[in-house]
Amino acid sequence: MKKVYGVILLVIGIAVLVSAICLYGRDEKLNQYQGQFFDCFDTVTTITGYAGSQEEFSEKMDLLKQKLLHYHQLYDIYHTYSGINNLKTINDAAGVEAVKVEPEIMELLKLGKEMYEQTKGEFQIAYGSVLSLWHDYREQGMAKPNQAKLPAKEELSKRAQHTEMGAVVLDETASTVYLTDKEMSLDVGGIGKGYAVQRLAEYARELGMEHVLISVGGNVSAVGAKIDQKPWRVGVENPDQDSLEPYLCTVDMVDQSIVTSGDYQRYYEVDGKRYCHIIDPHTNMPPEYFASVSVLAKDSGRADALSTALFNMEFEEGLSLVESLEDVEAMWIGKDGEIRSSSGWKADEKK
Amino acid sequence: MVKFAPPADGRPMKKNDLILIAALLAVALLAYAGVSLYSKVSTNKAEAVVYQQGKEQGRYRLSENTVVEISLENGDYNILQIREGQAEITEASCPDKTCVRHRPISRQGESLVCLPNQMAVEIENGADSGIDGATD
Repeated sequence: MKKVYGVILLVIGIAVLVSAICLYGRDEKLNQYQGQFFDCFDTVTTITGYAGSQEEFSEKMDLLKQKLLHYHQLYDIYHTYSGINNLKTINDAAGVEAVKVEPEIMELLKLGKEMYEQTKGEFQIAYGSVLSLWHDYREQGMAKPNQAKLPAKEELSKRAQHTEMGAVVLDETASTVYLTDKEMSLDVGGIGKGYAVQRLAEYARELGMEHVLISVGGNVSAVGAKIDQKPWRVGVENPDQDSLEPYLCTVDMVDQSIVTSGDYQRYYEVDGKRYCHIIDPHTNMPPEYFASVSVLAKDSGRADALSTALFNMEFEEGLSLVESLEDVEAMWIGKDGEIRSSSGWKADEKK
Repeated sequence: MVKFAPPADGRPMKKNDLILIAALLAVALLAYAGVSLYSKVSTNKAEAVVYQQGKEQGRYRLSENTVVEISLENGDYNILQIREGQAEITEASCPDKTCVRHRPISRQGESLVCLPNQMAVEIENGADSGIDGATD
């Protein structure tokens, strides 16, 4: 009988030990946390990462937010901020004087010029004069849908005369930017966010975060893999917003970035027709080739510029550009839902 | 040194050994059942969590049908409806109506976002959606 008690005691002992280990393991393990904020680039930023506690994660989130906010202010074309020269400062000084800038602006504009060459002008950073006209018409059209109008062709082509990339003078030695054409303005909407996300990913690494997923309004960048070494799985949004299937496919990412340009989120309608926010520099009109284009690349800034450029290009032309670039893949979703992709694109199709 | 070997007398296991093994198995089974039950309960706890300017404003169980008005001091608003385990924005004061056009959400990590009103609804404790992020 004594032995039976012994066994019972032993079992209880083991049970206590096992639960203790389970609980201990749970608390010690790095947990996954997610943080969200709205203040940057007029969109929602979501950061997923790991930390020992919510406090530890929040501290890092605050640092990341400060960093992103800095980029947001530098690339803002609508507001000025005391103590910093940003893109609005440069635009306001067009035709007047060169503006001293921080390296974050110089590097961005250099990449912008490079992407302009690479995409044969389908991606443009000196296109602000045309984009701002469309912007005004879109805002008015959204506020009063029954009075929505298109900008006049003549006005568009008049403005398009002030988009010469040669008028953007970058002086790296003096760290200045000068727009020689008074009527011209920079708009980095198609690259600034992506570039900032890339820098933010690098900053996260400096903070010791080795497993992070950053999404700034759908510009998604993966730092490392997940903590269990599995890749981050990112869904590509279904452009058909009425469909109950939220994602068309998923892409597995490790140290990579993906950016999507689409016509289904920011647009306005004139006489029942949809006009999206992306404008083709060669026609001064919104392109009508695709519902969305997603670009997967190492660098988020390049992916951002390329997705805008591909959205403006016919499929064959875009495909040959993508195939000519290393470590860049793309997926095109047609207005009819047809999916096409470059040769190295790997995704899990949703059933 | 403990030696894990059959009894030296060569006889089969004793009755107490069998009791021990049975008891251990029972504990393991119970623990397993407990853990699975716990995770099952938590998936039924899916909630729509409302954030305004990044701050949590309220939590609503997806299992309970309800309609909530999420309003700002300046009069702007979003109407959140929870019906049959899904959350959606049915009405909003924003100019773009992106949040209203968005399909209903129900799975872990999915979200409804209204940028003009700085409002987001996110699913927490929901069934795994299988993805970590989304590009749009």
